[in-house]
Amino acid sequence: MDEEVLTTLKILIIGESGVGKSSILVRFTEDNFDPDQTLTIGVDFKTKKLTVDDNTVKLAIWDTAGQERFRTLTPSYYRDAQGAILVYDVTNYSTFAKLETWLNELETYSTKANIVKMIVGNKIDKENREVNREEAMKFARRHQTLYIEASAKTRDGVQCAFEELVHKIIQTPGLWESFALNGNFQVDNKDHPSDSSSCYCSLT
Amino acid sequence: MDYELPTEFDIIIIGTGVIESIISAAASRIGKRVLHIDSNNYYGGLWASFNLDAIQKLATVEETLNEGLGNTFFNVKNFEIEWHIPSETPPESTEWSRQSLLKESRRFNLDLAPKLQFARGDFVELLISSNIARYSEYRSVSRVLTWLNGQLETVPCSRSDVFANNKVTVIEKRMLMKLFLALDSGEEDYHNYENKTFRAFLTDKKLTPNLIHYVLYAIAMCTDDTPCLQGIKNTKRFLDSLGRFGKTPFLFSMYGSGEITQAFCRLSAVFGGIYALNQPLKGLILNGDNFEGITCGTQEIKAGVLVMGAEKAPPHFIKQHPKSSIARAILITDKSIMESEKEHLTLLLYPPEGGKNSCVVLELGCLTGTCPKDLFVVHLISRQVEGPQNDFKHIIGNLFGPEKANILWSCYFSIPDSNDLDLTVETPKNVTLCPGPDLDLDYDDAVRKAKAMFTDIFPDCEFLPRAPDPEEIIIEGETSDQDNVELKAESAKTEE
Repeated sequence: MDEEVLTTLKILIIGESGVGKSSILVRFTEDNFDPDQTLTIGVDFKTKKLTVDDNTVKLAIWDTAGQERFRTLTPSYYRDAQGAILVYDVTNYSTFAKLETWLNELETYSTKANIVKMIVGNKIDKENREVNREEAMKFARRHQTLYIEASAKTRDGVQCAFEELVHKIIQTPGLWESFALNGNFQVDNKDHPSDSSSCYCSLT
Repeated sequence: MDYELPTEFDIIIIGTGVIESIISAAASRIGKRVLHIDSNNYYGGLWASFNLDAIQKLATVEETLNEGLGNTFFNVKNFEIEWHIPSETPPESTEWSRQSLLKESRRFNLDLAPKLQFARGDFVELLISSNIARYSEYRSVSRVLTWLNGQLETVPCSRSDVFANNKVTVIEKRMLMKLFLALDSGEEDYHNYENKTFRAFLTDKKLTPNLIHYVLYAIAMCTDDTPCLQGIKNTKRFLDSLGRFGKTPFLFSMYGSGEITQAFCRLSAVFGGIYALNQPLKGLILNGDNFEGITCGTQEIKAGVLVMGAEKAPPHFIKQHPKSSIARAILITDKSIMESEKEHLTLLLYPPEGGKNSCVVLELGCLTGTCPKDLFVVHLISRQVEGPQNDFKHIIGNLFGPEKANILWSCYFSIPDSNDLDLTVETPKNVTLCPGPDLDLDYDDAVRKAKAMFTDIFPDCEFLPRAPDPEEIIIEGETSDQDNVELKAESAKTEE
């Protein structure tokens, strides 16, 4: 039996190129670590159900599709997201330094003022670390974000990052409730007229 | 710039207007290496939407060219912005001021080229068949109005509307339903009307003047001179799109029409298209009659084909200068033009009057994501006669003022129409120019043009086949000691 899904949450993964955003996405959703990412062309978001504190939510996790490289993510990418995972590479200090820019980007484009942010230091399996934990945690505290260290390769911290993010989102009032049902819809092949007599039909 | 752009592509697309973006998505989708680049730092070009702050800045940008590519023939012209409220109000006041409105700047999405979609039009069908629908949300237009005998009237759009409308007599109701059923069944013979107007046809059907007004100006969106067959076609199109999503045939994309280009760009990126905005485009590299590449900053980037928005082309590529313009106004108002209990998304089809062309008026409330609560954004769109201020004067006089909705802020401009021009480029041969916004209510013509251009460039290739859903893609991976997955993905995308 499927558990009842409380809501669907839109989660973004952002950060510099090469920090392992897609790897974290694939590790979390498929429990895979793919050395040959060519196959992911055509993927723009992945969905996964997650149960946190007895609540089951469906996550739609959006990849940047390479649009982060020249800072050309569209404003619509950020639209209506309830959570954001900001990834940097613990072995590359410049990717950590750029987090400030990414936080600004979120500030500019996110449509929900109380969007929950989680900073993830990736690649902790590697030895040549350039960013120490204390400095990163201090940064996270200053910007009021969650923080975790992880490795998409070894699985460390990945599941936990999403669980903590979802936990915080669910606890944030007004962030996800009554999100739908205000009359917007996506177009599909089904007809959804708002009332049964909305076409010109026979008068008889 | 942190990264250099790759230097070899199958196709370079300059400009992020609707047609350019559809071609970009279509090319990436079939595996072509696409560079999609814009000198602007925003998506959408002449089809973009802006917040309140940004549109004001846009108006102050002079019509000069920065060095490099582009021409001024298609620039937005006659920009006039005016505030109709004080710059500040006392702290306890609930009246809007310039200051309090600008504070909400980011809640506005003000379109240069606002559009609706027919629920069963080519554009909606393309969104569904290509699976691009997931990138955008829509709202139904909830009422269609017209200006009749000096006041606003609701156009009966559905069976229940027809019956609920107390301005339409019982006999008229029967006439209207009979006409629509006849058009719908296709049994009518229009043979005698090939050289007559639609108005003549409706008159011969013995419709009353009010009904002729509803059908001619609102449902078929015609003028007195529209040929009968065109009027029939338009009416059928309206009827065909009823009953799919909501009470009227029309959809509006949430957060404004500027979202549309972004959706196609997103699809292009998902399939490997490289995006770069705010780029210093210096010029084209030519070899005899052939386009070979572009110069961007200090980089030379090669490609076999160039597609560009007409406004981005070097002046000598443009054989014909614009002959007509689209007159535009954007208003921020404090009340609906026709107040009611629930918030409406209103399309008003204002008939031609006193030498002025018919006008499309679109009123958007906060539920469309284009303005803050308690305010409305009103767009006016018409074929320009004298200039936007004069062309809309009578309409604005009738709809706004004391006892009615007040205008807090207004913005007038003209967009030169590049759709009725011959934009073919003889030399270099492998360059295609895309027209900017047209006067159509919808995107169907833009889709047709984009498809034709795409097919011309890539004959025998499928145009935007359905993109898989995320669940349909199985990533076959294995735990290996390779680490930098993302860089691999990118190098694969550009195939360098």
